Amino acid sequence: MDIALEADQLGKRYGRTWALRDCSLRLPAGRIAALVGPNGAGKSTLLHLAVGLLRPDAGAVRIFGEAPYDNPAVLPEIGFVAQDTPLYRDFTAAELVQLGGRLNKRWDAALARNRLAQLGIPPKLPVGKLSGGQRAQVALALALAKRPRVLLLDEPVASLDPLARREFLQSLMGSVAESETTVLLSSHLLADLERVCDYLIVLNAAQVQLAGAVDDLVASHRQLVGPRHDGGPIGGVNGVVRASHTDRQSTLLVRTDGPVTDPAWTVRDVGLEDVVLAYLADGATQTRHSEWGVPA
Amino acid sequence: MIWLTWRQHRKQAFFTLLGFAALAALMVPIGLSMRHTFADLGLAECVGQLSDPDVTAATRDSCEAGFRRFTNQYGSLNLVAVLLLTLPVLVGLFWGAPLVAREVEHGTHRFIWTQGVGRTRWALVKFGLVGAAVVALAVCYGLGMSWWVDPLTHAAREGRLGLIVFDLQGVVPIGYTLFAVALGIFTGTVWKQMLPAMGITLAGFIGVRAVVAILARPHYQPARTLTFPIEGTGEPLTERGDWILSQGIRDADGTMVAADTQIMCPPGGKGPDGRACGAELGLGPGAYNWQLYQPAGRFWLFQGIETGIFVALAALLLYLAVRRIRRIA
Repeated sequence: MDIALEADQLGKRYGRTWALRDCSLRLPAGRIAALVGPNGAGKSTLLHLAVGLLRPDAGAVRIFGEAPYDNPAVLPEIGFVAQDTPLYRDFTAAELVQLGGRLNKRWDAALARNRLAQLGIPPKLPVGKLSGGQRAQVALALALAKRPRVLLLDEPVASLDPLARREFLQSLMGSVAESETTVLLSSHLLADLERVCDYLIVLNAAQVQLAGAVDDLVASHRQLVGPRHDGGPIGGVNGVVRASHTDRQSTLLVRTDGPVTDPAWTVRDVGLEDVVLAYLADGATQTRHSEWGVPA
Repeated sequence: MIWLTWRQHRKQAFFTLLGFAALAALMVPIGLSMRHTFADLGLAECVGQLSDPDVTAATRDSCEAGFRRFTNQYGSLNLVAVLLLTLPVLVGLFWGAPLVAREVEHGTHRFIWTQGVGRTRWALVKFGLVGAAVVALAVCYGLGMSWWVDPLTHAAREGRLGLIVFDLQGVVPIGYTLFAVALGIFTGTVWKQMLPAMGITLAGFIGVRAVVAILARPHYQPARTLTFPIEGTGEPLTERGDWILSQGIRDADGTMVAADTQIMCPPGGKGPDGRACGAELGLGPGAYNWQLYQPAGRFWLFQGIETGIFVALAALLLYLAVRRIRRIA
């Protein structure tokens, strides 16, 4: 299977702070992947590295085997919509479609015009006067008109209201369903993307906490409820992601590598959201007590 | 890319041309009337006659009187000329500084640099087109100003090498304008917001211009010295248009007795109370007038050197800007 996006020990540093560190992942082609993490987790950094806007400080990132930084040959393969969908606000949508045609060798202007016509975007109005949802749709249409093999969307729905969010994601899914386009879209809310993605990457505190196909992730995690647990090994459990205890009882979210047969534990299936929250809670509190001058 | 550059900057180009046309509409009639008066007073011939060392005293006096009349009428236009000095930096502020800074401030660099054209090519095409446009503008400005200030410089003692008139005409405006635009572009890649970039461009431009004009320009070529006695007939033997860097009266042994002045007594003349010439200044026998100057004939050489300096600085800044652009995300 082709690997659309591959990161190998990838790192990016701003001053002395690592925005992304030791990031290794392989996104197979054809997937719709969600990149989830709290604000400041490094999602935009990862996407900017992938589209070649940033140069890695450590490791490497590859799009279909090619490093994107300072390599315009990769650009036709990537459709990118940056955060807040920046567009020249004094250009009309029709002019932006024309602009794309002049800057890209492969350009499907008809696709862009058809999409925008279907969505009822006025062609002669400066895009600065459109609503946020309409502007996001224009940006998406421009990215799709490149006929990219990888589509990278940075928080595409963050500034949209719930209805516009749903419309945006629906139209995105509708247009990539027939093509083989790999999609990676980020959000700080899993709920936005849960229904559309089949692959999940969880970033937190500059590191990849979890990456894999949604089905595999759900299948390989269980919630165990049983007597208070002291950290000993449990049959079939590969690792404990998160544990909470009362005096007599422990609730564990675990990664399994086989059926849990120990009768002391009650085994429950988990949803994707539970898994993600468990990984995010781990290491989520990076408070800097020493910097505030208070005891930890 | 060419279409994009035109589409993005056409409004700006329109307003720039409009401003330029308004300026021309104001300056051309003044220039015409100035030249008219210059010719009416016979000053055009005077310029030729005064450069002849054997000019008669009568001609000299009538010419000096004519120049004085001209200066009385139009001398205040020198202030206008000072205002016009700011044109190159205005171009730098409004064309250079926003070129990258506005893209980054609005986030549109992430849109445009991820299209099929790489950002290095984007930068080279944009810099090239904007550069060509401002050079065309600067050529018009330089030629126009050469025509406009010509009578004023003839009337002024320092000629075309003087501090402000030199900066207004010939080819140096091209160097200044390119430098201002390049400086604006570069600061825009460092301080990625328009207002700080514009402010720093302004400060940097004034600083570099002042340093070059005051510290470097007098030394482009070794200055010449001229000495002449304090007793003689007529005016000191300086060619009109020399750029006098410093002057004074020195004693027989060469020590400066009185700086920034020159005296001239008639031969064998005595002061009012019968003392020797210059005795009230403390001059002994053998004192002479001394001046350090750049000859007027070096105008184009100096123009070339100054333009070269600023074009080189502009090229360096653009190179640095392209390098910085590759680091902006």
